[in-house]
Amino acid sequence: MKFLNKEINKSPLFGLNGSDTINSLRNEALNEFNKQGLPNKNWEEWKYSDFSSLNKMSFAFGVRKNISSLPDSFPEINDTNQIVFLNGYFQKKLSNISSKISVKTIEEAYKSDSELIHNLLSPNSNPFHNINSAMINSGLMIIVNDNEIINDPIHIINYTTDLDEPLMNHPLFIIKLGNGSEASIIDHYYGSTNIEYWQNSVTKIKLSKNSSLKHFRLQEESASSIHIADTNYIVEKDAHLNAFHLATGASKYRQNINVNLNDIGASSTINGLCLTKDNQHHDHFITINHLKEKCSSKQLFKYILSDSSLGIFNGKVIVKKGAQQTDAKQSTKNLILNDSAVAHSNPQLEIYADEVKCSHGSTTGQLDQDAIFYMRSRGIDYKTAQLILINGFAKEVLKIISEKNVNQYINKQLSFWLENAGIT
Amino acid sequence: MLEIKNLKVRIQGKEILKGVNLNVNNGEIHAIMGRNGSGKSTLANVIAGRDSYEVIGGDILYNNKSIIEDTPENRALEGIFMSFQYPVIIPGVNNTYFLKAALNAKRKHQGKDELDAVEFLDLIRKNLQIVGMEEKYLHRGVNDGFSGGEKKRNEILQMITLEPNLAILDETDSGLDIDALKIVAEGVNKYRRDDRAIVIITHYQRILRYLEANHVHVLIDGKIAKSGGEELAEALEEKGYGWLDS
Repeated sequence: MKFLNKEINKSPLFGLNGSDTINSLRNEALNEFNKQGLPNKNWEEWKYSDFSSLNKMSFAFGVRKNISSLPDSFPEINDTNQIVFLNGYFQKKLSNISSKISVKTIEEAYKSDSELIHNLLSPNSNPFHNINSAMINSGLMIIVNDNEIINDPIHIINYTTDLDEPLMNHPLFIIKLGNGSEASIIDHYYGSTNIEYWQNSVTKIKLSKNSSLKHFRLQEESASSIHIADTNYIVEKDAHLNAFHLATGASKYRQNINVNLNDIGASSTINGLCLTKDNQHHDHFITINHLKEKCSSKQLFKYILSDSSLGIFNGKVIVKKGAQQTDAKQSTKNLILNDSAVAHSNPQLEIYADEVKCSHGSTTGQLDQDAIFYMRSRGIDYKTAQLILINGFAKEVLKIISEKNVNQYINKQLSFWLENAGIT
Repeated sequence: MLEIKNLKVRIQGKEILKGVNLNVNNGEIHAIMGRNGSGKSTLANVIAGRDSYEVIGGDILYNNKSIIEDTPENRALEGIFMSFQYPVIIPGVNNTYFLKAALNAKRKHQGKDELDAVEFLDLIRKNLQIVGMEEKYLHRGVNDGFSGGEKKRNEILQMITLEPNLAILDETDSGLDIDALKIVAEGVNKYRRDDRAIVIITHYQRILRYLEANHVHVLIDGKIAKSGGEELAEALEEKGYGWLDS
């Protein structure tokens, strides 16, 4: 990936107002990555997701462009605080944010919270995180103040379109919910282009004491893209995280999710729906750390795999010593629509406390032919019968999306996906 | 209405039906009795169009037209209904949604407008009463968490909602207690009409106490060994099937 050495100085955020510390941190991150190299099959945590093909590719930062209106293909969700990025550039004019929410660019965040930024850019065991630190060109810091309740979801759209050459984007999003605050965030990646691009995002989310966050991450990139993401949640005392990850896009997608249940009474729910077709490759690697007592975590991930696609789910729950009365549930279910699609599921538990309730399970199956015959014998045609079954499979995870407009949007995208999934 | 001619059927290489002949006319109720493994359920499934059953000879005519090449959905749309011996559980698919999809598919086929939600609910509430089912079963997944008896009532609910011309009831009476059996029989009696026909597949004579069958047939080793009236069912109840073996 020689292009990184060449491109690093071209990042629009390079130097962040000329800070030597930042420059040295970024160069350090790049050196760290160069030592690590790209993950390949020999890396235990990446064994199904070999990214060495990136070595043969080359990407550049997007050209700065401010647009005056949103294109027709833009994925709108009603009643939101809208934040728009186009090819990595923040579109302030098209963004519409309540004054209750503090939004800072990364440069502004560096001025007010330089130590935080220094920490976040420090070397990491994930090579893509180091690339993000080195190349960082985009992102925001969003703060919801103590006890503030934000009613309309904050919709952050990273929209990629109208490219002339292969683009890369390395955004850093920092989201902090103050004590006792409540908010919903839709973290949306959407592409509309045939040109190759590479999205490499890092998201750091902190839920302070007693706060509550609904986080929706929608990955709907173009098929010409590679999307790599590192999403970290820190959940403090009695705070509640409710996250949903939808993934339909990108040729190759890897999402590392890390949750730290940091203090007593913290809880997290992470659900997901992954829709793959053609030769798509979707890989979720989730780690939930139960660090203190009386925390609970739930995970339910569903994959619907068509054509020759590949779905990987690795879910690890670690219960640290002393994290008594932990309640952890994990489940992954794969529905394979085609004999050439493949699913790998690997639920893992590491328990170092003795008073815990933990369960995990994984199922993989095809559409139930008896159920299809049953429906056909009632006059429902073969295609409709299949669609009814697939929707029924997805419903278990969709019905828990409590944000109405998001629920509608995701259901619409599922219908759209099914129309194009080659079910006949 | 239904004419089965020398029907031979194979499943996974094994011949199950070895030349079945049967004529069912409008307004008639036929009972087909026989031991386990005699081919009763195969006969029901092959009429409904299950594709794991291979027809190797003979024909099935419905309203004078061969249906053996027809898809199961076309047979259903043309008015054939099979009540399943083991109704399929479909978790995640709401029972109301399923019933409505089935009814509207049929209405569309008949060139009628689809029912809207209110019209549909009115109809279903009326039919629920006929089969003695609580409304809560509409809101569950299809047959999901239903007892054996509730599943069978749900089959009859589908039958009276879809109003087929020919109903094949595959052991609808098995696993029912006497009260449920009466309710199911009542549902079938209400459905009965001069322009409709019913084929009941059963082990036992007891459902025939509530439904008057015009014809009783005994299926042994893939062939109809004997046909008669209700007295045949009574004789079977008394003497078993042994006296028919030869």
